[in-house]
Amino acid sequence: MKRRTLLLSGLGASAALLVGWAYLPPRSRLGNAGSLPAVEGEISLNGWIKIAANGDVLLAMNRSEMGQGVHTALAQIVAEELSLPLARVHLIPAGFESLYGNIAMFVGSLPLHPRQTEPGHVSLGARLGQWTVAKLARELGINATGGSSSVSDAWEPLRWAAATARQQLLGAASLRWKLPLPELLLEDGLISHVSGPSANFGALAKEAAATPPGEVKLKPAAKWQQIGKALARPDLAAKVNGSAVFGIDVRPDKDLLFAAVRHCPMLGGGLGVVPVNALLQQPGVLRVVQLGTVAGSHAAVAVVARNSWHAQRAAASLEMAWQQRPAGALNTGLIEGRLAEQAREAAQQGYAFFSQGEVDTALAKAPRQLEALYQAPYLAHATMEPMNCTARVKDGRVEVWVGSQVPGLARAVAARVAGVAEEAVTLHLTYLGGGFGRRLEADHVGQAVRVAMDTGGVPVQLLWSREEDMTHDFYRPAGAAFLQAGLDAEGKPLALRVGSAGDAITPRWMERVIPALAGPVEPPDKTASEGLFDQPYAIPHQRIAHLATHSGVPVGFWRSVGHSHNAFFIESFVDELAHAAGADPLAYRLALLEGLPRHAAVLKRAAQEAGWGQVLPKGQARGLALHESFGSIVAQVIELSSQDGRPRVQRVVCAIDCGVVVNPGIVAQQMESAVIFGLTATLYGRIDIKDGVVQQRNFPDYPLLTLAQTPRIETHLMASDLPPTGVGEPGTPPVAPALANAWFALTGERRRRLPFAVAG
Amino acid sequence: MELKVNGQNLSLPEHASDPAMPLLWALRDGLHLTGTKFGCGVAACGACTVHVDGQAVRACVTPLGSLQGNAITTIEALGSAEHPHALQLAWLAEQVPQCGYCQSGMLMAAAALLAKNPKPTEAEIEAAMTNLCRCGSYPRVRLAIQQAAALGAKR
Repeated sequence: MKRRTLLLSGLGASAALLVGWAYLPPRSRLGNAGSLPAVEGEISLNGWIKIAANGDVLLAMNRSEMGQGVHTALAQIVAEELSLPLARVHLIPAGFESLYGNIAMFVGSLPLHPRQTEPGHVSLGARLGQWTVAKLARELGINATGGSSSVSDAWEPLRWAAATARQQLLGAASLRWKLPLPELLLEDGLISHVSGPSANFGALAKEAAATPPGEVKLKPAAKWQQIGKALARPDLAAKVNGSAVFGIDVRPDKDLLFAAVRHCPMLGGGLGVVPVNALLQQPGVLRVVQLGTVAGSHAAVAVVARNSWHAQRAAASLEMAWQQRPAGALNTGLIEGRLAEQAREAAQQGYAFFSQGEVDTALAKAPRQLEALYQAPYLAHATMEPMNCTARVKDGRVEVWVGSQVPGLARAVAARVAGVAEEAVTLHLTYLGGGFGRRLEADHVGQAVRVAMDTGGVPVQLLWSREEDMTHDFYRPAGAAFLQAGLDAEGKPLALRVGSAGDAITPRWMERVIPALAGPVEPPDKTASEGLFDQPYAIPHQRIAHLATHSGVPVGFWRSVGHSHNAFFIESFVDELAHAAGADPLAYRLALLEGLPRHAAVLKRAAQEAGWGQVLPKGQARGLALHESFGSIVAQVIELSSQDGRPRVQRVVCAIDCGVVVNPGIVAQQMESAVIFGLTATLYGRIDIKDGVVQQRNFPDYPLLTLAQTPRIETHLMASDLPPTGVGEPGTPPVAPALANAWFALTGERRRRLPFAVAG
Repeated sequence: MELKVNGQNLSLPEHASDPAMPLLWALRDGLHLTGTKFGCGVAACGACTVHVDGQAVRACVTPLGSLQGNAITTIEALGSAEHPHALQLAWLAEQVPQCGYCQSGMLMAAAALLAKNPKPTEAEIEAAMTNLCRCGSYPRVRLAIQQAAALGAKR
């Protein structure tokens, strides 16, 4: 069986041999001290933790900081377990060993229904699937920052690593002082005993490394002093004085060269005869390099100069007869029209991600039927820092500087392009000027290495213009869903049949960045149906199916992925059902959530904080939405008015249950972030392709919400003792439906197509 | 060609001396002062905001030739480690940045606003702060400007 098939397929229930298997013992992710080479004065205690001479802790950081606060949250988890101030936990880059791979992200890619995987309800089949994928993910060891998985992935292994180190340090003190371990105190990084002796970690580290940890227990929640506190983010000091280094800021050499790229404007097209001499005559141009397609990159011409301006100016001036995509020019008008038909077909012909009862019969028999077609457009990531990568190729070695969500895969691409072993590539990971899924790709990395192969060992910084970035993205795929419901006499749903259509992202992404695992079999991609097949409402008869299309448009992971449009489809439609039943949208939903107390509690909390049911000033209305994604449950209530026929959002009230909250300040920050990201998409976001050419080229054509348009955003966190779940993405999906539902409440107009800036 | 940047006269390398070259690239690629960011190249996002004689300008569309000895201030000199700008303190107090990429420009725009108008109303903040942020730091930018304005008034 292809590994990919195993990785990404749902697995049937089987065999009692699973009883008692945890899906990965946390100790298997402790690593050993050898994974973390110590320099003079430092002692490694395991694969994650080193102790510095002054007693500070050095933590191997295996996740990329792209704004989501992961560097703080992971360090905070370790600081807690070691009873050390956060400021004394320093980050060092994790290496490329499989120890540092992301397991939670791959386990999360299984098309399992959340009701099958919640604590206490884990079915055997779900466990088998999770166990198998976890094993494979552990073997693969892909270090990826995505899928809102960093904290949930790190929660057990980092706490065990820190707790194990702590017990070794305490053990060393106990042996040195000949005092019983339970009598020792640990506070603020200092181990002491009432009888007098005390020592910091640095003084004990060497002995600790030789001391077995004995019985290790995690600090109980009742003793937490840092987890649950809104500790300040240590990365922000450098982000208010210009000293934080992003990929675009590395200056490894005073002679650093700069390259600009000009891709074939037609997606999937090719180069014509490149006017190399004309380009070389442009001011400042030193070299011209033709770029083939690597890791999903488009055919392009790179222009090298002493500064980005000369390079960009020459690249922009390039004129030639580009080749159209061999399989035909892409047109989103046609694709989106076809998707609407395919969604109708999908209910019968698509792959059923979820099915229960007799949906066809129940629909036919229901006293009342409703149906609606919903659509969402292609979207660009538009990270504020355009794609860039710096590379040096010299003496058979490659050095790469890049802000990447997948440093290991980026390194592999660099090695492939340069024709060297991965071990010959040194990758320096920088801060990311936004990720949102765009930096799960390595197209720009391959390009930079290719250019650097032609510059005689001098490093090159390859930087895309905003126009190249926007017109050569891996877009959030357009999607469509045809939803049908049968209601009983009271308006309660008896049956729900959903057909959705859109391109699968995961197989396309694997072809680009993990080609060794891509194969001819294309198993169902959970991201296509996520948020639909696992919708929470109790409806006896359901069939939720998806038809995977092959539009040819380059598609990629975009903050909240399939949930980004599926929440709009399902939560708008459920609102339609509530109105059709003549019910209050809140009460209607709550009645369908009887078996799901967490969902109901989150929804009630948002409604209560927003004053649901209270009268608003004339000209304003409220809408709500509830959506579970990346393990977390989010409800939002949006208040808006109409300004020149468009929604003007005044207030967003957000409640989230994401399990244990490590840092409430960061969770609130991410809810604000995700809400604004969702508002931008709902109000303005769309990418149109005509004759293969993306029409939106820069911010004036692809507007982002501005400060003046930003509503008041209030976040409420649910108390929980369940393990932490996602935070970076789950705030985005409910925005579109909450807004559309509020708009309906205000105007009576049901918007079934995004964005609002487009008619209909 | 010389530029007066952050109180110093700095010589631009020859490749970065074209009068048509935008200030942004002279700073970043000529002088390796990388705190000022490139976002759009068309003055739409404000990531490249610097001060020219105290006014906020978008360096990506400010040609070197238009600067005749004017004093340029970049994020690197907005404050110092010993004497941070009130906005930098407020930015940390409100935990404004996320990815941080647009924040140099945000801070420079806000600093120019407060220099001109130490007690801006909410509407004045909204009118002045047209910088784009993809992470959605806007609510905290608003709060931090108000906080810095209040602190400034107390001093």
